[in-house]
Amino acid sequence: MAGRSVVRGGVDDVRQAARGFRWGRRSQVPRSAEEWVPEARSTVFRSDWARRRPAIVAREVVQKAGLEPVFRSQVRTTVRGLDVLDGLTGPVIFAANHASHLDTPLVLLSLPDEWRRRTAVAAAADYFFDTWWRAVGSSVLFNTFPIDRRGGTMSATPGEVLDDGWSLLIFPEGTRSQDGWMGTFRMGAAMLAHAHDVPVVPVAHRGTFAAMPRGRNWPAPGRRRLTIRFGQPLRPGPGESVRDFAARVKAAIAALLDEDGTTWWEARRRLASSTTRDPGGPDVAPWRRLWEQTAPIDDGGPDRVRAWRRSHD
Amino acid sequence: MSRPGFVLEVDDRTPPLLVHEGLGFRMEDFLLGTRVVYPPEPIGGVPDVEGAIREALLHPVECEPLPELLKAGMRLTIAFDDVSLTLPTMRAPDIRQRIIEQVLTMAADAGVDDVALISANAFHRRLTPKELEHIVGERVFRSFYGQGLLTNHDAEDHDNLTFLGKTEKDEHVVTNKRAAESDLLVYVNVTLVSMEGGHKSVGVGLSSYRSLRHHHNNETMVNSRSFMDHKNSELHASAWRMGRLIGEHVKVFQIETSVDNNVFPKPYNFLMKREWEWSIRDQASMLGVRRGLAVAPQRMRHKIFHDLRAPYGMTGINAGAVEPVHELTIAKVHEQQLVEVQGQTDVLVLGVPYLGPYNVNSSMNPVLATCMGLGYYFNSYRGQPVVRRGGAVILYHPLDEGFNQLHHPSYVDFYEEVLAESTDPAVVGQKYEAQFAEDPWYIHLYRTSHAYHGVHPFYMWYWAAHAMDHVDDVIWVGGNRRAAARMGFRSASTLLDALEMASDTVGPSPSITYLHNPPHLIADVR
Repeated sequence: MAGRSVVRGGVDDVRQAARGFRWGRRSQVPRSAEEWVPEARSTVFRSDWARRRPAIVAREVVQKAGLEPVFRSQVRTTVRGLDVLDGLTGPVIFAANHASHLDTPLVLLSLPDEWRRRTAVAAAADYFFDTWWRAVGSSVLFNTFPIDRRGGTMSATPGEVLDDGWSLLIFPEGTRSQDGWMGTFRMGAAMLAHAHDVPVVPVAHRGTFAAMPRGRNWPAPGRRRLTIRFGQPLRPGPGESVRDFAARVKAAIAALLDEDGTTWWEARRRLASSTTRDPGGPDVAPWRRLWEQTAPIDDGGPDRVRAWRRSHD
Repeated sequence: MSRPGFVLEVDDRTPPLLVHEGLGFRMEDFLLGTRVVYPPEPIGGVPDVEGAIREALLHPVECEPLPELLKAGMRLTIAFDDVSLTLPTMRAPDIRQRIIEQVLTMAADAGVDDVALISANAFHRRLTPKELEHIVGERVFRSFYGQGLLTNHDAEDHDNLTFLGKTEKDEHVVTNKRAAESDLLVYVNVTLVSMEGGHKSVGVGLSSYRSLRHHHNNETMVNSRSFMDHKNSELHASAWRMGRLIGEHVKVFQIETSVDNNVFPKPYNFLMKREWEWSIRDQASMLGVRRGLAVAPQRMRHKIFHDLRAPYGMTGINAGAVEPVHELTIAKVHEQQLVEVQGQTDVLVLGVPYLGPYNVNSSMNPVLATCMGLGYYFNSYRGQPVVRRGGAVILYHPLDEGFNQLHHPSYVDFYEEVLAESTDPAVVGQKYEAQFAEDPWYIHLYRTSHAYHGVHPFYMWYWAAHAMDHVDDVIWVGGNRRAAARMGFRSASTLLDALEMASDTVGPSPSITYLHNPPHLIADVR
């Protein structure tokens, strides 16, 4: 009897710890304690091994045999605009809006294989590289490398990755959106493009927030529709400042989002008249912003006429 | 950089929180909205302890440097705090050892021959040679113990006690004869909590029943608001009057130290971390320790906990005149322990750990558990009590450790006979205190064995008197029902049951505050 109660006590303890400490999910800080959270450790695990041959092979297996089937079993995707990559040979910077942990697999699995294999993902050092197992996991799965969101010394790393011939996937917002709408852009992607003379490919996607917002660690049931659209590569103009170029990248993503919700032509006309819808969303009550972002995406259907036809599912 | 203490409000993100309960702990799911007071993180010790001690002795506060006070042919007595400090016992070398060694080095340099060391244990049990050696160190122990010059104070050895006079409030002041007749009395203190130190060191530690009865009684304790705040404590006011009188007869060179909050060594250091910051290893340690304790026999659990040695850091040291030194010490203690709390609460929750000042290497019997919870922890406030008058206190402790017959013989009779008759501190004091204080068998055990004095359980009960006077309900979660009932309290299986029981007193939706200690904290209630 005593032995059984000890076992039962152990099971109860494990259950309580699993629930209370959010095993399998990222731990949370009580709101009233947020003020007292210590600064993130500066120790960041290296990731250069993740771009060597054994890791590349392992990643190919993991992505094609594991990640992709699981991803496609949970969501449906509509990918458009990949023809923009046809004329490109060297590394590029994919700059995308950021609303969910689904964004990275969505972008990577939407890319042609030859591009996917040569794309590394900039990931927050304080989030993805704070423990060895998280660093190894994200590096193997997504080919991540650490960037310091506070603008610390690691900012040199993306340049080295670019110089090695890898394309980069960067989310210029720096963090996932709180409500699905686009946040403030940081200038890291524009600065890199400037410094290393590589084009920026704007990428806009919708639906990931509704499928798996902050706080969820698995997509919502029902195989929600995600759409992703790649835009024309942008290069800094002669004499164009980093700040202006960053604004242009943001405007391009905003136009792509607009286009994804309407048509290419309508979006072009609004862009020309500077009336593109603010990607930051309307200034309305928070619930209305969330309501709009969580609405199912109308993916057009077979009879809808699109100005830009090229697509694959 | 250590972080200050703060008050957490339990929300949906809060993991289960650790609550000590005797020789173990539990993880409690507190109700949303519960306030949890966390102590400041360890502020860290001074990097050069030896240098800091030397500096304090050479540049004392409002006093001549120690070497100037040491002369050949003089009579020097060094008294020191006993085994009740620190809690847990400090990892060797103890601070007191390091200080005493430097004092003795200076004394040797000055040619002082007549030196005696006394453990200021008042009515506490005599320390064993091993315990004395842990405090003073092997070198000092070997030099003095064998010659009978390292001793425990004996408050019943009337031939070696001196009556110094009466205070302006007619309080009798008796102290150790050797100390009183010394040219210099050096007192080496560790102020773990703000109750310790000051004039209480000599005034209480080297006194006798004739002095102690003036402030160790129900009335004084009820009027000490609190006894952790020496400026608002009747206990301390009395000790201060006595200390000043002692100072007129003997030169006291007070050396006070303070320590940080580093109470649990690895791998038990998760016990003092904030739960939402627990690493996987901390969580695994918690689960492992809990399972280990669940299967371990009581004896082993006792050994596991009582063998812990705290890696304290010394945060400060000051020497010189008693009162200015104590002010500096208290400021340092407050820096480490003070937490601002806004307003009182209906229900105060306290986890009573395995250890208090009176059960070092011994058992936490129900009377000591009450003293620890309703005495030390309840009184860990400044300003006003954390719980409102008429509120409820919920304590966690199994109340099942029983009594240590060697250390606490009079506690057994106090529990079985006195508390069976009345649990009112005023009543038991009036009717039975003198009988226990003068009982020749208890006195014999106190003087020759390792027993606390016969009257000591009364003092423990008085320690809780302010809390008993202040709140209307005391409930022990997980406490032995018979033991709780004997002491006039109730027991509940879970926190929810305890809150349900307390609803008659505080209503169905009370405000709840949990003091997350140890490490020790003082709630500065505004």
